[in-house]
Amino acid sequence: MELRLEKFTKRFGEVTVIEDMDLTVESGEMMALLGPSGCGKSTTLFAICGIHKMSGGSLHFGDRNVTTMPAQQRSVGVVFQNYALYPHMTVEQNIGFPLKVQRVSKSEIREEVARLSDLVQIGNLLDRRPAQLSGGQQQRVALARAMIRKPDVLLLDEPLANLDAKLRLEMRSEIRRIQRETGITAILVTHDQVEAMSMCDRIALMKEGQIMQLAAPEEMYANPSSQFVAGFLGNPPISFLDAVAGERLDLGTGQSLARPFGLEATGDVVIGIRPEFFGPQHGTGLEGEVIFVEPQGREELIDVRLEGGGEIRSVLPAGEPVKPGERINWGVATDRILAFAKDGTRL
Amino acid sequence: MTSRTLGIGFLTPALVAVFIFFFLPVMLTVVFAFTNMSTSTGITDGDYRIIGDRLRNLSDAGVSQASIDKLEAAGYQITEAGLAALAEQFGEDTADELRDDFLGQSYAKRRDLERVLRSLDDPIRKTRDRKAAADLFAVSIINTRFDTEEEFRAALTSTGIDAGDHDALTRFAYTGWGWTRDNFRLLLELPSTLRYAANTAFYVLCTLSFNILFGLFLAISTFYLPAKLANTFRAIWFLPRILPPVLYVLMWNWFTWDTGFISTVTGWFGVPQQNWMMQTTTRAWTVIILINGFVGASLGMILFSSAIKAIPTSMLYASEVDGANRWQQVRYIILPQLRWPILFMTAYQTLSLLTSFEYILLATDGGPGRATEVWALAAYHTALNNYGGNLQYGLGAAYALVLVVIGIAASALYLRLFNFRELLIKPRIEQ
Ligand SMILES: Nc1ncnc2c1ncn2[C@@H]1O[C@H](COP(=O)(O)OP(=O)(O)OP(=O)(O)O)[C@@H](O)[C@H]1O
Ligand SMILES: [Mg+2]
Repeated sequence: MELRLEKFTKRFGEVTVIEDMDLTVESGEMMALLGPSGCGKSTTLFAICGIHKMSGGSLHFGDRNVTTMPAQQRSVGVVFQNYALYPHMTVEQNIGFPLKVQRVSKSEIREEVARLSDLVQIGNLLDRRPAQLSGGQQQRVALARAMIRKPDVLLLDEPLANLDAKLRLEMRSEIRRIQRETGITAILVTHDQVEAMSMCDRIALMKEGQIMQLAAPEEMYANPSSQFVAGFLGNPPISFLDAVAGERLDLGTGQSLARPFGLEATGDVVIGIRPEFFGPQHGTGLEGEVIFVEPQGREELIDVRLEGGGEIRSVLPAGEPVKPGERINWGVATDRILAFAKDGTRL
Repeated sequence: MTSRTLGIGFLTPALVAVFIFFFLPVMLTVVFAFTNMSTSTGITDGDYRIIGDRLRNLSDAGVSQASIDKLEAAGYQITEAGLAALAEQFGEDTADELRDDFLGQSYAKRRDLERVLRSLDDPIRKTRDRKAAADLFAVSIINTRFDTEEEFRAALTSTGIDAGDHDALTRFAYTGWGWTRDNFRLLLELPSTLRYAANTAFYVLCTLSFNILFGLFLAISTFYLPAKLANTFRAIWFLPRILPPVLYVLMWNWFTWDTGFISTVTGWFGVPQQNWMMQTTTRAWTVIILINGFVGASLGMILFSSAIKAIPTSMLYASEVDGANRWQQVRYIILPQLRWPILFMTAYQTLSLLTSFEYILLATDGGPGRATEVWALAAYHTALNNYGGNLQYGLGAAYALVLVVIGIAASALYLRLFNFRELLIKPRIEQ
């Protein structure tokens, strides 16, 4: 079911956390709300599920206006960051709780619980209590509980934050699988870009209560709309250099780069170069000295101080014979250079 | 200094306090419960005296009729002491004549002595006077005080009382306290015992239910109020607990007196003025349960409130998006997580209600009649404050001892219950 948030405003007392936010999540789509801590992701999520009242704007599930509807009647499933399982109930009772409060018959509840526990693969744990489950198992229970009512929308608030690295990887594909299988419209709140990029159809990147860019992950990575987006997305992160656009991109340090095709701006700009687009595989062009090499197993992270000032990062396959202190002259993939105005907007 | 001795050092004040404020009173209660101490026996040693008024109780004490007769009619002897008294009342001459002729003479019956008195040269003429004069020479131990048992027994021997009755008489004559198990026999026999027990059970049950239920109601309802309002509300409900009991009960008295608040207000609607506390048993109980209930409920409210606050908000949010309405949230999420606070409150309040009587004492003092007399109050009345004036320390201590035993048993039970559960169940609420 399509979810439409229009001119959504949220104030806590005097403080306006979110102002005039528009967001549409297509039916069956999984949307990521990505952004740094405190940008208003959870606030948006709580407004959508009805726990917080909206200070302004409207919210539609399909053609149903649910703006003022209490949480109980909204038909949303929520997986909370700490799972919020009921400690005094068994797994079965936890999953069945949304149906129990709707006075669904016992046999029907049992059937539905069986269906959901199959879906999230915890059929053998139904008699346990939450305290007797591992983090990943709790996660699955929370997911099953959120989905048992066949809600219009599934909301996930940092669902993977409490899991260890391996489990996180596993649950990432697991949640995606379940979302695909059920075709449910979902919103994933996260501050982890890898999560957002790997799990979601589209990403809404937020900053200070505003959506900076809304796009598919690849699109957002390749074509960020602002310096903030470019800087937030990508790991290892992009390097920014000041430059003057003229004939060439003059770095003001005696070095310069070729103008990327299609760049029209002149004068002071900021250019962004992702680490994979700077390296010996791109020929020569920038001179500098290797100041730091960070092996990461499959690849190595290399920090370079440029001749005349400025730092730039490169990522190379592991095993490249690069040592700190070494002088290098590496090239840049010119057509992948991103240029921004001084105020951060994309040029 | 080793850490062990240091530990004992730190513990000492606590141990001393436990000894002085718990162990010692309990031991004293045990000791007193096995005595017949009362106002009349005193709590120090007594003396030996057969009080004339109590002669007819002697046969109940197992003294033979012959000995009783002998005590009553021990005979008469002309002694200097008697003569001195005679001289004072009937003149020196009579006394001198009697001394000269009859000093040392004994008479079995008063009539014999009266005959002598009539036959004197200077006789006592009036029959009534003669009887009075004869009595001055009575050799009886009745109403005489003996400081030690030996003196008393010697007197019994000289009066010629059968040696078989000496023990019984000595026991009967002793005015001090002694060891006895009678208190407990009495407790079992007295019909009022059952009455007090029933009163206590009723009082504890009703007050406890009120405490818990009302405390829960307050905690849950204030939980859903805005924070500021909730705090004000809680502070108001907490007043009864911080108010001195005397003041608090005084306000209730003022509230329920014949000319008090309720009477005045109902008076406007033509209800005759009356005492809304003491008029009927039902009212007395209602008032007492409310007085104690409000105090207890405020404690429950605080405890339950903090327990509710300890429930992670996300869990409450979760229940809302799961579709639970307020009532279902209370029923399925909040109440189950209050199980331990509720159990604890029940345990704690049962114990304190069993032994507490100050509010009842101040409000109804057990009345009307003995309708609201609970066990602890009965102990107090028996031992320390009783209309008859004879305070029965021993019996009162026996009452108290029953409470001590019940209290210790219940505490032990609760302790086991709590520890046991704690071992079994890991903390369930995790953030
Ligand atoms: N109840 C509240 N009262 C006042 N301010 C609040 C309240 N809840 C959130 N805020 C503020 O709103 C802003 C957004 O908060 P929100 O919880 O949505 O952040 P977030 O994006 O979820 O961050 P995180 O990744 O750390 O969870 C923050 O600046 C926060 O201080
Ligand atoms: Mg958050």
